[in-house]
Amino acid sequence: MTVSAPTSALSSQEVEDDRPTTEPPTVPLARDTPGRPKSGRRRAVSQERLASLVQGRKAVLCVDNVSVSFDGFKALNELTLILDAGELRCIIGPNGAGKTTLMDCITGKTRPDAGSVYLVGHGEDLIGLSEHEIAALGICRKFQRPTVFGGHSVFENLELALAGNRSVWRALFGGLSKAEAEVIDQTLETIGLKEARDRPAGQLSHGQKQWLEIGMLLAQKPRVLLVDEPIAGMTHAETERTAELLVSLAGERTVVVVEHDMEFVRNIASRVTVLHEGRVLAEGSLDQVQANSEVVEVYLGAGHA
Amino acid sequence: MSALAVFRRMHSTRGWLVFGACALVALVLIPLFHSALPPTSPLAVSDRLIALLGKFCCYAITAVALDLIWGFTGMLSLGHGVFFALGGYAMGMYLMLGIGSQGVYRSNLPDFMVFLDWKELPWFWHGFNRFFFALFAALWVPGLLAYVFGYFAFRSRIRGVYFSIITQALTYALMLLFFRNDTGLGGNNGLTDFKQIYGWPLALSQTKRMLYVLTAASLLLTYLLCRYVVTGKMGRVLRAVRDAESRVMFLGYDTRKYKLFAWTFSAVLCGLAGALYVPQVGIINPSELQPSNSIEMAIWAAVGGRGTLVGAALGAFVVNGAKSWFTVALPELWLYVLGALFILVTLFLPEGLVGAFNKLLERRGVKVAVAAGGKSS
Ligand SMILES: Nc1ncnc2c1ncn2[C@@H]1O[C@H](COP(=O)(O)OP(=O)(O)O)[C@@H](O)[C@H]1O
Ligand SMILES: [Mg+2]
Repeated sequence: MTVSAPTSALSSQEVEDDRPTTEPPTVPLARDTPGRPKSGRRRAVSQERLASLVQGRKAVLCVDNVSVSFDGFKALNELTLILDAGELRCIIGPNGAGKTTLMDCITGKTRPDAGSVYLVGHGEDLIGLSEHEIAALGICRKFQRPTVFGGHSVFENLELALAGNRSVWRALFGGLSKAEAEVIDQTLETIGLKEARDRPAGQLSHGQKQWLEIGMLLAQKPRVLLVDEPIAGMTHAETERTAELLVSLAGERTVVVVEHDMEFVRNIASRVTVLHEGRVLAEGSLDQVQANSEVVEVYLGAGHA
Repeated sequence: MSALAVFRRMHSTRGWLVFGACALVALVLIPLFHSALPPTSPLAVSDRLIALLGKFCCYAITAVALDLIWGFTGMLSLGHGVFFALGGYAMGMYLMLGIGSQGVYRSNLPDFMVFLDWKELPWFWHGFNRFFFALFAALWVPGLLAYVFGYFAFRSRIRGVYFSIITQALTYALMLLFFRNDTGLGGNNGLTDFKQIYGWPLALSQTKRMLYVLTAASLLLTYLLCRYVVTGKMGRVLRAVRDAESRVMFLGYDTRKYKLFAWTFSAVLCGLAGALYVPQVGIINPSELQPSNSIEMAIWAAVGGRGTLVGAALGAFVVNGAKSWFTVALPELWLYVLGALFILVTLFLPEGLVGAFNKLLERRGVKVAVAAGGKSS
């Protein structure tokens, strides 16, 4: 197989930033998070604080009083959110509510001004860890736009994602074990891309890329899976398959889905959190939050109900 | 991983045959023609030509090393002349001390030190009277500088054009440093007038041949090492970093370490190239550190085709072959030709000569596998 030219390999899917509104990724501004080094300020988890948040629930991830402001504008405002082990959680909210920013904070892409993120069982505050460290702890993320490596084959994409030793040494001298190759082949089967195994991922259709990306997330064996607007740009059939897949993924792991589409949310959700202006406005089942008058006003009132 | 699997992963059978043919020509035929054929023979290889080929091989090593960092990792270094020059200076120091008391001033000190009225060797010259000490220094000094420089650059997440600019600044700063007499490396004039290497007089035809063979073998070895790197998991991670670094980070890879490996390894190879270069051209001076020198290196890789290794080496031979011809025939035109070549390649052959060649083959229905990545598992 030939490899496309260095610059053209990922033309349609840069992942530096999901937002069309912010600066281009190559310009590291002070506030532009991809350019900010994050090593250095590690903090231990305060066990009492964690216990008081969890209150006996089987929690896996706690976002504690997190605030983020962009040039004075508060994208997240003392937000607190607790995710239970194995649950499927939908996060909804109008545009600009801070949903993507919340994911950025959890995954280390954005460093909040205040607050903490705890992963139960891990002794360190996730705020202060770098992206790759958080990812290695099993918190994985699917971006809004599909971001597969277009110049790599489907198989190679999964190989890169596969959970395991990520040391330079291993990359130089190690090989793929039989068991690992089997995991990849299984994943290929799950996501229905067995036929496309050796094709460059850049040649896949939009929907197939989304699937491959979900496969990559699975290969990472995550504890928490964060999925940002998974069905944007999908066909109806693809949407349905995605809903099924997300439901089947929860249970073994915690899945957090950010979505606009209420139909979709109704199909999959057990529990819904409504964000508004960087804060949790309501939490509960979809019917409960839809009955909430505040929610109706800010969100559902805008034509959805 | 078994040796056979590695062998298979690096090249197809046909690829290995081509490689073997190149090795045969470079390591056997050319030296043979140089030593055995009379100068009147049409295939004769003169002393001048074999030294020239040796020089080109040094450039090709540099280009392959640069391709690893630019073509595969996506970081355009415009400062690889630094590592080349450091390797060159390390070897130059050995050669300088090898002159002994045969210099103009009949002193044990190098001439330029006598001229500056120094009484003894500066501390950092100690040990350089030994060949292997110097050769080792030619590898670790560039490697260490690259490691430290890369550590801070990658930690601050300097990328893209910013990275290119600071590497240019690095070579410029070092050039100014090396121009100073106080630096203790011969200032403006650099190190030259070498007499012998490892007991062999440099003027001797055999010495030239031996140096050429060593350089050509180093080029082949460099290629194999880089090929090993890029066809393994390391290469796949590096290409992924090139295409979408933050995505790789979100997969749990510490991309800094990967970049640091490629960058340092590349610098060490350049140091080797510099060390082989100096005994063959007989001089090393700060002009090697001119920013334009490093830019030229990038042009070699671009002309040959980035991200293929072979292309980079080919580009080094083609561009420098043209340069040798032009600087004799039409010296004042060379810079224009180089500029035009670069523009033409960028516009019409974005994948370089190798890319164009592959397209040609593909159009004829031949499957090509020059670029790395290839098959998995
Ligand atoms: N890097 C940034 N710089 C400046 N403002 C930002 C940045 N990222 C997000 N914002 C702002 O923060 C708010 C929340 O954004 P976001 O989290 O993307 O919302 P959502 O995903 O819920 O639509 C928006 O008003 C957005 O403009
Ligand atoms: Mg968003």
